[in-house]
Amino acid sequence: MEPIKQAAVIGAGVMGAGIAAQFANAGVPVLLLDVVPSGATDRNVLAAGAIAKMLTTEPAPFMAARAAKLVTPGNIDDHLARLAECDWIVEAVVERLDVKKALYRKIDAVRRPGTAISSNTSTIPLHLLTDGLGEAFARDFLITHFFNPPRYMRLLEIVTGRHTDPQLALSVGDFADRVLGKSIVRCKDTPGFIANRLGVYWMQVSVVEAIDAGITVEEADAVIGRPMGIPKTGVFGLLDLIGLDLMPHINASLAKALPADDAFHAANRELPLIEKMIADGYTGRKGKGGFYRLNREGGRKTKEAIDLASGAYRAENQRELPELAGAAKDLRGLLGADNKLGRYAWRVLGQTLSYAASLVPEAADDLSSIDEAMRLGYNWQWGPFELIDKLGAGWVAEKLAKDGFAVPPLLRAARDTSFYRIEAGRREALGVDGAYHAVERADGVLMLEDIKRVAKPVLKNASAAVWDVGDGVLCFEFTSKSNSLDAEIIALLGKTIAVLPERHKALVIYNEGQNFSVGANLGLAIFAANIAAWGEIDKLLRAGQQTYNALKYAPFPVVSAPAGMALGGGCEILLHSDAVQAHAESYIGLVECGAGVVPAWGGCKEMLTRWSVSGKLPRGPMPAASKVFETVSTATVSKSAAHAKELLFLRPDDGITMNRYRLLADAKALALRLAENYVAPQPVEIKLPGASGRLGFTMAVESFHQRGLATDHDRVVGGELAGVLSGGTTDPILPVTEEQLSSLERDAFMRLMKTEGTLARIEHLLVTGKPLRN
Amino acid sequence: MINVVIAGYARSPFTLANKGALARVRPDDLAAQVVAALVERTGVSPKDIEDLIVGCAFPEGEQGLNVGRLIGLLAGLPQSVGGMTVNRFCGSSMQSVHIAAGMIQLGAGDAFIAAGVESMSRVPMMGFNPLPNPALNALVPGAYIGMGDTAENVAQKWHISRAEQEAFAVRSQRRAAAAQQGGYFKDEIVPIKSKDGIVDQDGCLRPATTAEGLAQLKPAFDQKGSVTAGTSSPLTDGASAVLVCSEDYARQHGLPALARLRSVALAGCAPEIMGIGPVAASLKALKRAGITMSAIDVVELNEAFASQSLACARDLEVRDETLNIDGGAIALGHPLGATGARIVGKAASLLKRTGGRYALATQCIGGGQGIATILERI
Repeated sequence: MEPIKQAAVIGAGVMGAGIAAQFANAGVPVLLLDVVPSGATDRNVLAAGAIAKMLTTEPAPFMAARAAKLVTPGNIDDHLARLAECDWIVEAVVERLDVKKALYRKIDAVRRPGTAISSNTSTIPLHLLTDGLGEAFARDFLITHFFNPPRYMRLLEIVTGRHTDPQLALSVGDFADRVLGKSIVRCKDTPGFIANRLGVYWMQVSVVEAIDAGITVEEADAVIGRPMGIPKTGVFGLLDLIGLDLMPHINASLAKALPADDAFHAANRELPLIEKMIADGYTGRKGKGGFYRLNREGGRKTKEAIDLASGAYRAENQRELPELAGAAKDLRGLLGADNKLGRYAWRVLGQTLSYAASLVPEAADDLSSIDEAMRLGYNWQWGPFELIDKLGAGWVAEKLAKDGFAVPPLLRAARDTSFYRIEAGRREALGVDGAYHAVERADGVLMLEDIKRVAKPVLKNASAAVWDVGDGVLCFEFTSKSNSLDAEIIALLGKTIAVLPERHKALVIYNEGQNFSVGANLGLAIFAANIAAWGEIDKLLRAGQQTYNALKYAPFPVVSAPAGMALGGGCEILLHSDAVQAHAESYIGLVECGAGVVPAWGGCKEMLTRWSVSGKLPRGPMPAASKVFETVSTATVSKSAAHAKELLFLRPDDGITMNRYRLLADAKALALRLAENYVAPQPVEIKLPGASGRLGFTMAVESFHQRGLATDHDRVVGGELAGVLSGGTTDPILPVTEEQLSSLERDAFMRLMKTEGTLARIEHLLVTGKPLRN
Repeated sequence: MINVVIAGYARSPFTLANKGALARVRPDDLAAQVVAALVERTGVSPKDIEDLIVGCAFPEGEQGLNVGRLIGLLAGLPQSVGGMTVNRFCGSSMQSVHIAAGMIQLGAGDAFIAAGVESMSRVPMMGFNPLPNPALNALVPGAYIGMGDTAENVAQKWHISRAEQEAFAVRSQRRAAAAQQGGYFKDEIVPIKSKDGIVDQDGCLRPATTAEGLAQLKPAFDQKGSVTAGTSSPLTDGASAVLVCSEDYARQHGLPALARLRSVALAGCAPEIMGIGPVAASLKALKRAGITMSAIDVVELNEAFASQSLACARDLEVRDETLNIDGGAIALGHPLGATGARIVGKAASLLKRTGGRYALATQCIGGGQGIATILERI
């Protein structure tokens, strides 16, 4: 098979268009085709419309608007011949066997032999799709099942048939992994594959049990969400997202395809309420509402939920449920509780876990694939087997048996042990043969989680740890809550910088938390402010600035590798690194102004320098300062790593890794490349506008305030930011040093910490997690 | 006294900044095409032209480096023709006309091209490096006031309601649309070559504008204010040029003169109400021409904002049927440096079209000024 340089997606529905967008996000040109609607003047209207719509959809399918240019719209009547130029053709048309097969015949007539063709079907078995299409077609055919939305869901299920060329399947899988950033789970050609087979069963059981037990939708979602490590949409919120109208189709196709003794049939009962909701247009978020809705009657927005018994909407009940107190830490306690919610939790999870255990080896060869599929396809924090291990396999098996639920052979085999174990630092999973087998990572993947299992930290304190990741590279890991930055992290970073050159040659700053770092721990700052310990705040500011500068000018290369959010002080670490290897889903920003302060660990200084030397702006003292003012005063956060490059939080030549699992390996490789003949950077002096620039910024803030776009305290914060970014009292012809900028940052920060508006913002942020617009 | 005449007028299409068809055209290229077309259309002998005087409100970047000279070279004018750049913000290219007229009356030349250009796409308002003087800001707080704020001030001081402003904006859109449909822009527009082909249509017009639609817009400058994007002139790209020469020269060379310059004037006012600038300037010019407003048949009053247009029209007692007959800047757009030459050229050609005797072209200027020109049909 040729390397994949050009792709095609046929079918411009939500999934097809989203898959095309992900090719474009990865920099791969893609042809997006659909049918020509009768009477259309623009024959590409379906594909072109889908691309246009994706530019305004939230969450955005494109990582940067310019990616949309890589998607070429077309139609299957006029442009099918262009499939000959494509190296991978993804079919994502309607779930009808006859339609798909008719299309395959057309594709087969024009494609280059040996190019991969895959279907994104979620319900039709592979053997039916290839039946009668000839051997050459079957050799190049496989199922690649993406999850919605394709940009954000990391799972890709791959199903190959008896005739599929293994090398071709491997090439497609490798491309999907490295280039599209998907993690591959290989499934057998069984109905619903893995994630939807279990996921649909779990949703169905959750709904049916709730109706039977008289549980409200809010209670159900609260029970199923946090305590089980499942996103807070729980099940009813998730169904609203998926669309209620899809469920009868999926359920029917599963029911038709599954063997008569499958447990799904018992749960798959007709639900008159849902049928009525669909008939009335209550299909979920895309319709008038679903189990939840926003009632806009009378000009007010009221959150409502449906009563599962009567079908009437009523105000949503948002009270905390006392039965769930501590449930997130003690799931077993919840499942064993003798109350309505406890019994519901157990009936849902018990049956789901039992069903999961019945899927090996029928749907997957190994249980770790099922866990991976549920983690990456449904965003579960733990897969079903990990949940069983948390609860105790014996406890689960016994309770299932006692309540008359099935105890599948795999669960019986694990009842005196566990599904996973760590053997010589390696993670192993129980196989159907009764033996443990290593859980293998994809080739080239390096995970800190694996290293930590076998190694001891080189350095460690309460908020951070340093690990040897091999080949002379150290990895600095934040371990504090939400990876927020504090004095301990700064101290250990300083120590690391001092000792690293003794035995190592490069540093990678990386962790495997949900977010790289949400910024500095402002709780400490407000504590100090409340007791007027201004000296403490000043000390922390200086320590941060000095340490970040030491990082920048260290005699070895530093590569930061963010994933998720890198905000405030977390962003400032990236700005002081020699290079960044960012996960594609990195949300980077200097958000300090939202908290009523200004970036003061060098964020202003570094951004000013970046824009000043970027060559992207007109000359003169104002453009760079204006650009930074615009970005920082509005607390702009990038919507992807690609977007972060536009904002210059990342440099143009910083790396982007699509697959989260490969981030550390890529960052380490980059650090090693930089370590060859490494020379530390030299300080840069820039010119800034001084007092007249400050006036310009202040006037802009005043205008925003007058227009109602800036609040009263925004004026105060904006005024201080203006002072820093204009270079204080400098003259436009004089260079400004890094020291001067650092001192301007500190002074502005300190003055703001002494304002009531800023203290109110920080307090509000700490209590609610949301910015206060005072 | 030597009589001065307007002997030709041309302009580019006016299109929306940033999203319009001229956004990717350099302003020097844009103006050069208009100047070259004016020379060709009037038949003036290029070697007779003394100077090319180009108005521009933000003469930097692609419209910097004495863009007037560069436009002459790009337009293929002989190297013997001079070139200069004039900045009086929105009054820049009307000032070009005044300079040309003054030079002719000094005996310092027979034929001039007075032009104007602004690419508000490519050179932002305030320029790339706005560096206001803090001392002046303290001394005269209005010195750097935003234009939208001045429109709000005028609306308040002259009691111009939001509904009145919106009715005026609808009027402007209707008149511009009718003029476009009637083919009245055809003769003045020079088709412009761009990377994406020829641009020969104005791009700012919104003929479907209704008062109800405008009433839905949010205030653009002050959340408690009355001025919206719909009652303001849009950011625009465009260029314009008029041929200014002595009446004798025009006669001798068979150039079809459109109108004679009767008087010109300038007047300053408080920067906070710059929009009222046309009143004092127009009254001065009328006095110099020895006529009163009742004698004026054609008024081109630049519509920077509906509020200031209405305040000026009211104070000057402009008759509605004479005002901005083919629509104004709210509909057509306002490429700052290019507007002055457009409204002088427009007023001159309207005298010819309507058979009126006197025309007034006037506009307000940021920083607190007004400029006015009175023309007489030949």
